[in-house]
Amino acid sequence: MKNPEIALVFNGVWSHYSFAMSPKYSSFYQLVYVHDLPATDLSAFKSVVIPFQSNHAVLGSCRKQLYDFLAGGGKLFVEGDSSATWLDAVWEDRPVNNYWWVTHPDQPPVTATDFTHPVYQGLMPRHACWHTHGAYTRVPDHARILQRNSAGEIITWETDAYGGTLLATTLDPIVEHGVQQITHLDHYVDRLTAWLCGAQPEGAFAIDEADYGRSWN
Amino acid sequence: MHEPLKAAVIHNGIEGLDGLYPDSAFMVYNRISVAYPVQLDISQYDVLIVPNGSDHVFMECIKDTVEAFLAAGGVLCCFDGWFTPWVPGNRWVMDNSRRTIDVRYKVVSDPYGFMKGIDIDGLNFSNGISGWWACGYIQPAAEAIVVLEDTWHRPLLIVDEHSTNGTMILSASAPLSDSTYATTDDDASMQAVAGIYRNIVEFMHAKKYAYEKS
Repeated sequence: MKNPEIALVFNGVWSHYSFAMSPKYSSFYQLVYVHDLPATDLSAFKSVVIPFQSNHAVLGSCRKQLYDFLAGGGKLFVEGDSSATWLDAVWEDRPVNNYWWVTHPDQPPVTATDFTHPVYQGLMPRHACWHTHGAYTRVPDHARILQRNSAGEIITWETDAYGGTLLATTLDPIVEHGVQQITHLDHYVDRLTAWLCGAQPEGAFAIDEADYGRSWN
Repeated sequence: MHEPLKAAVIHNGIEGLDGLYPDSAFMVYNRISVAYPVQLDISQYDVLIVPNGSDHVFMECIKDTVEAFLAAGGVLCCFDGWFTPWVPGNRWVMDNSRRTIDVRYKVVSDPYGFMKGIDIDGLNFSNGISGWWACGYIQPAAEAIVVLEDTWHRPLLIVDEHSTNGTMILSASAPLSDSTYATTDDDASMQAVAGIYRNIVEFMHAKKYAYEKS
């Protein structure tokens, strides 16, 4: 069996774990504990994913490693919040509206999406946004904007200026898929996975009870 | 009024944790940052809080420290899904076989008043969706008290005073704090979640001083 080609930077958070341990995704994603990241050879991976609920203080100390990975042509995906200690952008928190689909189904948090991007191609608008965690108030000059909210604030952006491709969004597909309380996230995450490594997962998200209560070390 | 309890909050650097545990007359808090090599002394604290979104690789690394803390009579509050085996006698299991929309919280037993004054519909509903965010369920120790269960009678909030010399208050990843995790702006839900937490804090405070008096 092939080794996973996507490194999922792991902050010890259970949703990161449940996502990467699911049989549907375990052959695609390799958990890399954030405190082990400095000693990890990222060249073994095609892509690196930094999920929501990450430790951005530690990631700040790994800045050179992350940009070296990009310079080598890798893809880096950042979701949720981020930090200007390592990303040339400014993220700000905003109230989370996760009930718009009940109260105002015609007013989604994201109002503009570039559906020509490979991650978004073929997605229905609802599959392209469930809720957002904040917005970017500054992004690099060379960035392409892929999604905005109704206030025109930046939700998702991408740049190739560092060598590989850096894709950042305030959506949280990995964490929410790990939590398994939104039932339609396979659409987004499977497109994302295909973009990250060139192969698309199939089937349903399953959980093996034996993975819970198991020692990490 | 007795002195406030001293609580240590495990902090793995995630956004939004600061401000969820403000000092009160019952409890004052210190942040314990996840860092390696581990140099941790929690013996001076009364309460160890492991909030939602915590690092359970780190918690497994300090498993012996937590056990010593409990052996000395400390209180452990884990409001997260502990997928590593660091909580004595109790196991959390993730599960996605039931739909969130079908979850209704139910009080099973409440000898310590955690649910006193709480409108349980504030947990069940928020703006038309779930008002709380328990995930999976707990396989509790045999003598643990189940305070809350879900629609399918699976334990979600328990108190275990028997597995160790201390007290463990554990939720199935249901966030509890003096605020909420911005998963809702529905006032009834915010009041319910914060109200349960405050009731737990008052229980811990009363228990400590009743124990010292005895």
